[in-house]
Amino acid sequence: MKSAAFRGTFLLALLLFLVPLFLGRFHVNLLTEIIIFALFGVSYNLLLGYGNLLSFGHAMFFGLGAYATAVALNNISGLGFFPAVILGTACATLAGFLVGFLILRQKGASFALLTLAFNALFYAMAIKFTFITRGDDGLSLQRPNINLGFFSLDTSDVVVFYFITLVIVGSVILFSWFFTNTAMGKTIVLMRENEDRMKFLGFSTNITRLSLFTLTGGLAGLAGSFYALFFNFVSVDAISIGMTTTVLLITFVGGSGSFTGPILGAFIYIYLQNFLSDVTDRWQLFMGLVFIFMVLFVPGGFSKLLEEVSLRWRVFREARAKTSTAGG
Amino acid sequence: MKSILIFFLHGLTYAGLLFLVSSGLSLVFGMMNVLNFAHATFYMLGAYFSYSLLRTTNNFWLSLVVAPALLFFIGALVERFLLRRVHVLGHVHELLLTFGLAYVFTELVKWVWGTNPLPVPITGFLAQSVNLFGITYPVYRIFVFSTSVLVGILMILILYKTRLGIIIRGAVDDSDMVGALGINVPTLFMAIFGFGAALSGFAGVIAGPLLTTFPGMGDAILVDAFVVIVVGGLGSLGGAVVASLIIGQLQSFGVLLFPKFSLALIYLLMAVVLVVRPSGLFGRQT
Repeated sequence: MKSAAFRGTFLLALLLFLVPLFLGRFHVNLLTEIIIFALFGVSYNLLLGYGNLLSFGHAMFFGLGAYATAVALNNISGLGFFPAVILGTACATLAGFLVGFLILRQKGASFALLTLAFNALFYAMAIKFTFITRGDDGLSLQRPNINLGFFSLDTSDVVVFYFITLVIVGSVILFSWFFTNTAMGKTIVLMRENEDRMKFLGFSTNITRLSLFTLTGGLAGLAGSFYALFFNFVSVDAISIGMTTTVLLITFVGGSGSFTGPILGAFIYIYLQNFLSDVTDRWQLFMGLVFIFMVLFVPGGFSKLLEEVSLRWRVFREARAKTSTAGG
Repeated sequence: MKSILIFFLHGLTYAGLLFLVSSGLSLVFGMMNVLNFAHATFYMLGAYFSYSLLRTTNNFWLSLVVAPALLFFIGALVERFLLRRVHVLGHVHELLLTFGLAYVFTELVKWVWGTNPLPVPITGFLAQSVNLFGITYPVYRIFVFSTSVLVGILMILILYKTRLGIIIRGAVDDSDMVGALGINVPTLFMAIFGFGAALSGFAGVIAGPLLTTFPGMGDAILVDAFVVIVVGGLGSLGGAVVASLIIGQLQSFGVLLFPKFSLALIYLLMAVVLVVRPSGLFGRQT
């Protein structure tokens, strides 16, 4: 089982590295966006799928990462690519810790409510603190080149930026996958199943939950930081309730039951969004309807659907093999 | 001194609106254990329905009846055909559904009415001002506050003095037991959800002329209503009254004293309540 997962990951990585050879700039650009949103979705799913913590405020970390990167690049001259990303991630991690510290003692509905309230606070700050964020106008930024000593990478090139995103964001997604298999990752799943028992066994569930919240904040911040670099622009959209809806859509279209669900979700979401926004100006409305449809009729998302289809197929094939041997 | 009085009255007006929105939210939560993230969009829809009704009939009193009635039906339909379906899937899916509905309703409003703020004019004696303790104050704001007080008193009378009220309070405590006693709980839930939506829509109708009607108006009051519920305690009507009054005043004087940071005061209050008394001022300790 494990080797199959490794083989699948390896093949996917290989495919992603080779893709720019035979796809145009347009699709490479979309793939870059997909990888960024996949990390955003994965970080959200660590919270919801693994930790069973329903948050309606994940966009605050994403947006904070984006803003921190953009503000740092605009105000610190000569700041490199990686320091800017690290700064954005660090800000989001810190915010994750502080917000988590305040609200994690709440459970269920009131936790969801508080995450939304804090997201609204960050959104209001992004609009009101115009001297940092330029409010509704948004912040544009210049993507810095990466100097590796002997040669420098021209990040303004679509393919180069794709590879940078693939290597960095891709390996962070792999790290998250690795994390779910560590002792702490297992603890989180077990806490979801039976928290009281974990407490009796001597696990400090509050600290574990806060660590998870801080980690997912940081991961979302990294995704946000790349989002800012990808668009060379940050607006209040990045920190709005709409962005939280986006991550919810990604997670639920893909499926919150498995690690790969949100990655599949990001793929579907970006291509669907691209298609719908060509067809109609009201694509957000249709996205909302898709979301409600998924919640009502396909609560497990597409990954669950695929799983069921493949299971049915296997059962069907085995049944047919049995009848053919019985007949022959 | 005069400005303090004016800001105090402004605070009362806003507290009235907040109470109307948050009491419905709190009632639905107390009973069905569903936190309705679409609640404030009912408020926004109320304001937009009233705008359209005013444009066609030019009768404010009519819109004050018709818009909440429409929202009662919308709310009841949402409960009957959407929320009840996902109930079996669990709590997370119920919250997700209401969150998705809020998004879709907001997008629909942008589609139908556009994104520009729409002014709702008021006419007749409501548009005038009166002399109150030496200051001139618009009649409409007094109307908003007194209407919310009236609705609040009516709600308390229904909840504590009628048979229906006993059933509702019983269902808040233990809906299974109420069902076992022969009350049709699903229909009751549908009616309460519709009533909450109507109450929120009613608040929207009276808020329309006061604050302009725009697609973000729901989000603006939703957060304040959430803070009211956190501070007052989930599912407590008395808590909603007290917290609405506190937050109305905080909003009003916050703008007067620290214009840029008025929002911070509310969050500060919320943070203090969360740390000192996580279940809210009037919430049951769990």
